[in-house]
Amino acid sequence: MSNESNSGNGGGKFDQARRNFLRGIGLGTAAAVAQPAWGGQTFQDTFADFFQKDYRRMSAEEIEAALERIERKAEARYGVEIDCQNTLPQPGVVYGYAINISRCKGYRDCVHACVKENNLGRDSQVQYIRVLQLDQGDFNLEHSDHYYEPETVPVEGKHYLPVQCMQCDDPPCVKACPVEATWMEPDGIVVVDYDWCIGCRYCMAACPYWARHFNWTVPEIPAEEMNTNTHYLGNRPRPRGVVEKCHFCIHRTRKGQQPACMEACPTGSRIFGNLLDPDSEIRYVLANKQVFRLKEDLGTEPKFWYFSD
Amino acid sequence: MNSIILQCMVCVISLVALQAAAQESPDSSQPLRFEGYPGASEFTVVPRKDGLFFYPGGQCHEAMEPNPEIRTLNTMHDAEIEHGRGRIWCLSCHNLEDRNYLNTLLNELVDFDESHLVCGGCHANRHKDWYFGAHGKRVSNWQGDRTLYNCTHCHNPHKPAIEARAPKPAPPVRAGLKREQGTEHHKSSIWDAKEEHEEQ
Repeated sequence: MSNESNSGNGGGKFDQARRNFLRGIGLGTAAAVAQPAWGGQTFQDTFADFFQKDYRRMSAEEIEAALERIERKAEARYGVEIDCQNTLPQPGVVYGYAINISRCKGYRDCVHACVKENNLGRDSQVQYIRVLQLDQGDFNLEHSDHYYEPETVPVEGKHYLPVQCMQCDDPPCVKACPVEATWMEPDGIVVVDYDWCIGCRYCMAACPYWARHFNWTVPEIPAEEMNTNTHYLGNRPRPRGVVEKCHFCIHRTRKGQQPACMEACPTGSRIFGNLLDPDSEIRYVLANKQVFRLKEDLGTEPKFWYFSD
Repeated sequence: MNSIILQCMVCVISLVALQAAAQESPDSSQPLRFEGYPGASEFTVVPRKDGLFFYPGGQCHEAMEPNPEIRTLNTMHDAEIEHGRGRIWCLSCHNLEDRNYLNTLLNELVDFDESHLVCGGCHANRHKDWYFGAHGKRVSNWQGDRTLYNCTHCHNPHKPAIEARAPKPAPPVRAGLKREQGTEHHKSSIWDAKEEHEEQ
């Protein structure tokens, strides 16, 4: 009764406006179904996508529904049945990474393992890892070259420096985001909600490490090369027009596996582990090797160290 | 009174325990066997024997007389050992009597699956780093059971330097951008610049 009395005078006008608005959305989404930019999808899925909340404000059920929608869309777009998960951070774990630059030979195995693992578009030119080649005795990143293509590496007189997202503890990219589509998870990984990102690319300008990448095109992935083990905040198929970045292989590391770049490295230059565990390998490196961080003076507190021995 | 008796008993027991410990302690004339670095978390080593071409070496060497003389081999084994720059040869690591085993510098027999113990005899710093995870490669996980590759999975013990090989393809140059030649066109070191200046 009270509802009726509240929507008494003028309610009809408001109802009409709302009905028109909703009809507009319906027509818009019907057009999207007719000419899908992001794969064929049902009206319900499109509608639910439109009203999907930020990852951090979704309830468990809403996330579950979102994961199912992602799986359906991937099937429609790539013809592959993927498994999209929402593995939560482990308590008492903050990830850290270290690279032994005296052992890196510049093979780029990490780069290509990463592309494959993270379902990066094969033609969209996005690669999370850059292996920089520098002159021996030179550490000026302005002089570096990551397009090197000699017959064999290592080239005499050169050294190699892989650069990727440093998972800063005080990340400038997160501060730059106007819609809070990117944030640091409790285990220290800086993640992006691709459904919340508006593609303004402020974060790319804010990142001092060139670690964020923009999808100018819809990522093209051959169906047989699709990695079906995916995570909402990680390597699930991305739409065009959003920013993405290295997420320490969140779908692997949260289950105790190594990141793909580390597993692929044939030299064992890469060391990954829990910074909060005093017996971990990463803590041994930090305590016993002369480690440094890139552009440390910027104060972004990268959780990514380099050392040589 | 009771407490005095109790204290005496404790003293006697601890003395006996100390004596027992002294008797159990190893003979000082015998060198201690290496048993890993304290504090390193436990691990297993990926077996190596399955991948060895000549293993078990005893099968061939059974019929041969052991010859400890240092010489250039004219057999199916590599004549050149590019390890140690001429300072070591076969029997520095392989056991003379039993070819199915390796040998440490203290003449302890070492199984081929534990060959890191032989390597560690000389490369102690690297060996320690390997124990703690700063050198070498861990298999597939960062958490849970720790499995490590052996030294000889990556380094050929007869030629341990890692050989150069082709890199994977370079990233594509972004549409509209030009590839800068990076380090090609500039001299970084002060001595190069100085030499050029002097030449002029």
